Amino acid sequence: MADVDVKSPIPGTFYRSPAPGEPPFVTEGQVVTADTVIGSIELMKQFNEVVAGVDGTLTSFIVADAEAVDSDAVLAIVSLN
Amino acid sequence: MLEIVKHGLETTVQELPGRIGFWEQGFPPSGPADAWSFRLANLLVGNSRDTAALEWQFIGPTLRFHRDGAIALTGAEAVAKLDDQPVPMWRTVHVTAGQTLSIAAAKTGARGYVAIAGGIATASVLGSRATFHMAGIGGTGAGALKAGDQMALGEAASSVKAWMVPASARPPISTPTSGTYDSRIAAMLGPNDAWLDDRSVMMFFDSEWTVSTHSNRTGLRLSGPEFGFSPQAYAKPAEHGSEPSNILDHGYPVGGISIAGQTPIVFIHDSPSAGGFIVPFTVPRFELWRLGQARPHAKLRFRRITMDDANEGRRRLDKLCTAQSLVEADTTDTVDA
Repeated sequence: MADVDVKSPIPGTFYRSPAPGEPPFVTEGQVVTADTVIGSIELMKQFNEVVAGVDGTLTSFIVADAEAVDSDAVLAIVSLN
Repeated sequence: MLEIVKHGLETTVQELPGRIGFWEQGFPPSGPADAWSFRLANLLVGNSRDTAALEWQFIGPTLRFHRDGAIALTGAEAVAKLDDQPVPMWRTVHVTAGQTLSIAAAKTGARGYVAIAGGIATASVLGSRATFHMAGIGGTGAGALKAGDQMALGEAASSVKAWMVPASARPPISTPTSGTYDSRIAAMLGPNDAWLDDRSVMMFFDSEWTVSTHSNRTGLRLSGPEFGFSPQAYAKPAEHGSEPSNILDHGYPVGGISIAGQTPIVFIHDSPSAGGFIVPFTVPRFELWRLGQARPHAKLRFRRITMDDANEGRRRLDKLCTAQSLVEADTTDTVDA
């Protein structure tokens, strides 16, 4: 299985769930499609959804919830099925 | 005609000097957050430097051109392609009707500019085409541009030479403002520096300030050390408010650095015109581009200057933003049609 990096397109703050206290968009080990939202990045007081970009299994998050990211930062790893 | 294929992140039509004369009614000047890059983009395509052009933020738009002409890209560094060919920044680029320009994410800086020969000919509202996104004023009349939008273009100069901007005339966008003294953001004391204690005035210029992700074209929210206040901030009539940083509502200058509780907020082009926080420091106009290009999590430092320094800085930048800064491009290595 090949691993693919899911990268942040923008700098901002990475969130794993749509709002504080809500369940995460996805959990580690979950099957995702290219269109699956895996997190959200806050920038300019707006939330920008991040999609997996490929079909596979999201094996791990590299960035923790509410952590600062720059553009091109690796957010998560997806293993192609 | 210019068509928006993908809108990027809050891409807007901007124009200089912005919406001037309606501040007392609450309309901010708007205009490009980095006027230096904006003006050079216009000059590269033969426009007067203040002509309406596009500003994109962090993620660039994809545009389709419906007539031949010159374009130029300046500001935040990003990979751009015209159809499948890479496009250089800081140069005149010729496009033909039907071609598509796609701009990727900003690698350094925050805001990029696309000028088109003839300029963007959307309607002027209260004297300007500049977009005030939050109120949906200027531009196409609906705030930031959306995929599918089409805009008329103005009349272009009959022929545009291929120009480029040498590195010496470009804003040093990738230089961190926490680096050398000269790359720090200039700020003047006032109007309310007397509300801080002396130690905090020095502390402000000695400290590093981190840009929050809550920053936008309204203002930059900063985090850093805590401020202490002078007796004046406590011994005041009750109508000023309960916090030491509260003051009876007053007008805010563009570039003003307010203190909200303990959070400094630097007002930029779409800022509110008035409010109830003290403004101990003000970034002069010629340095606003540094704020417009600051990315979230960036470390900012400030240097103290006088109003004479600020006027001198403005004159120096004004001279750089003229056609004298351009040099003829060696067209053999451009992607010109």
